[in-house]
Amino acid sequence: MISRTNRHGVRRMALLAQWATAVLITVAVFAPAITAQATTPTAARSSTPAHKRVAADAAPGAPVKTIGNRNAPITMEVFSDYQCPSCGSFFENTLRAMIQDYVANGKVYLVHHDFPLQMHTYSGQAARWATAAAMIGQFQDVDAALFDSQAKWPVDGDIEKYVAGAISPANFKRIQGILKGCAAAPPTSKADRTVPQVDPSCPVDQYIVQDIVLGYQVPVQATPTFIVHYKGQSYPASSGIITWPILKQFFDTLLSQ
Amino acid sequence: MTQNETRRNLARTLLLLGRLGLAAIFLFAAYAKLKPQAAMPWSGSSIKTSLSLFAMQVDSYQLLPPQLVSPAAHFLPPFELCLGLWLLAGVLLRYASLITTLLLGAFFAVMVRTYMAGLEINCGCFGPGERLGPLTLLRDGSLLALALAVTIGAFLQGRKRRTESAPVPPVSAPQRAD
Repeated sequence: MISRTNRHGVRRMALLAQWATAVLITVAVFAPAITAQATTPTAARSSTPAHKRVAADAAPGAPVKTIGNRNAPITMEVFSDYQCPSCGSFFENTLRAMIQDYVANGKVYLVHHDFPLQMHTYSGQAARWATAAAMIGQFQDVDAALFDSQAKWPVDGDIEKYVAGAISPANFKRIQGILKGCAAAPPTSKADRTVPQVDPSCPVDQYIVQDIVLGYQVPVQATPTFIVHYKGQSYPASSGIITWPILKQFFDTLLSQ
Repeated sequence: MTQNETRRNLARTLLLLGRLGLAAIFLFAAYAKLKPQAAMPWSGSSIKTSLSLFAMQVDSYQLLPPQLVSPAAHFLPPFELCLGLWLLAGVLLRYASLITTLLLGAFFAVMVRTYMAGLEINCGCFGPGERLGPLTLLRDGSLLALALAVTIGAFLQGRKRRTESAPVPPVSAPQRAD
């Protein structure tokens, strides 16, 4: 029979053992990560932003689907589909405010990547219009026009009308000239991650395919997906609609480092 | 050893394993959310950045207004860390497991609602980069079931302890039936 004093002693020992286990497990969980963080050289963990990798391979006269100053401290790469409702909402409620505020002030450099989804009938065609506009330096206006009229052109695929309304007639003619040979179906991302065919007679398709392949590498699992780069480091990709106040808070945290 | 004692030992062992499993999961979840991203070393600034990144994941659920997103994102990971340590310690297990069950239940309900709404976002359960899908729902549903089992076990054990330690009423001498 165990006396009351012994029973208290056993309980105290058991409690002590539990706390010791707690401390040991906590150390075991946190220590490897802390050590790894301390020993891995910074350069080994940094990655080159995808748009810079593209720029290195791009031919002269390649489309520039970017907004802002390329020397801005923060670079944000967005993989988007012009027909995806979440992408439209993200553009209207977050990116528009960001462009007016942080891109205009030289804090953020915005890089657009086309990631047209196979399930959207006209998103590949919209990507062609945006890429052609980027080839003549009219990307920002056409990009905004495509998102602004997102509820309209997917009805009948008449994208031309909305692009024409966003730029001058002369520039519209130049874009039409670029897209003259684009008769085949536009490239779209595939669920099985196969690289889509490039139509050799369509000068913009190779750039759309380049964006899709970059998206596969991220990997983009849904649109919109974005990656933020700061001081040579890439932060994990985020998907979905993030509101501007929360995204701004993240940027401010980075800039205050 | 009687059959009752064997059963009691088995129940105690299962309860211990369940409790330690939940504790490890919560500690890892907190660590994954607080750990420095990119190549930053551990510091106040790196934790702040990680919490800002987590705030974006909370925001993507489109459940809270922007002014509540940041407080929620800054509260959850430290709370998970405390809950993990509490579960590990095993002190007042009934309350710890009850809070765990309620928290996991809330997480699961939010995840199901988001998945049903068709939002394609990151789960944010164990840090960034994990997409919300059927597998994450299955995993969180299993964790909820485990937490529920531990809670029931903890309450049953507590009741048994109370019954055992209750003072035995004095037994009156049997009356002789003459």
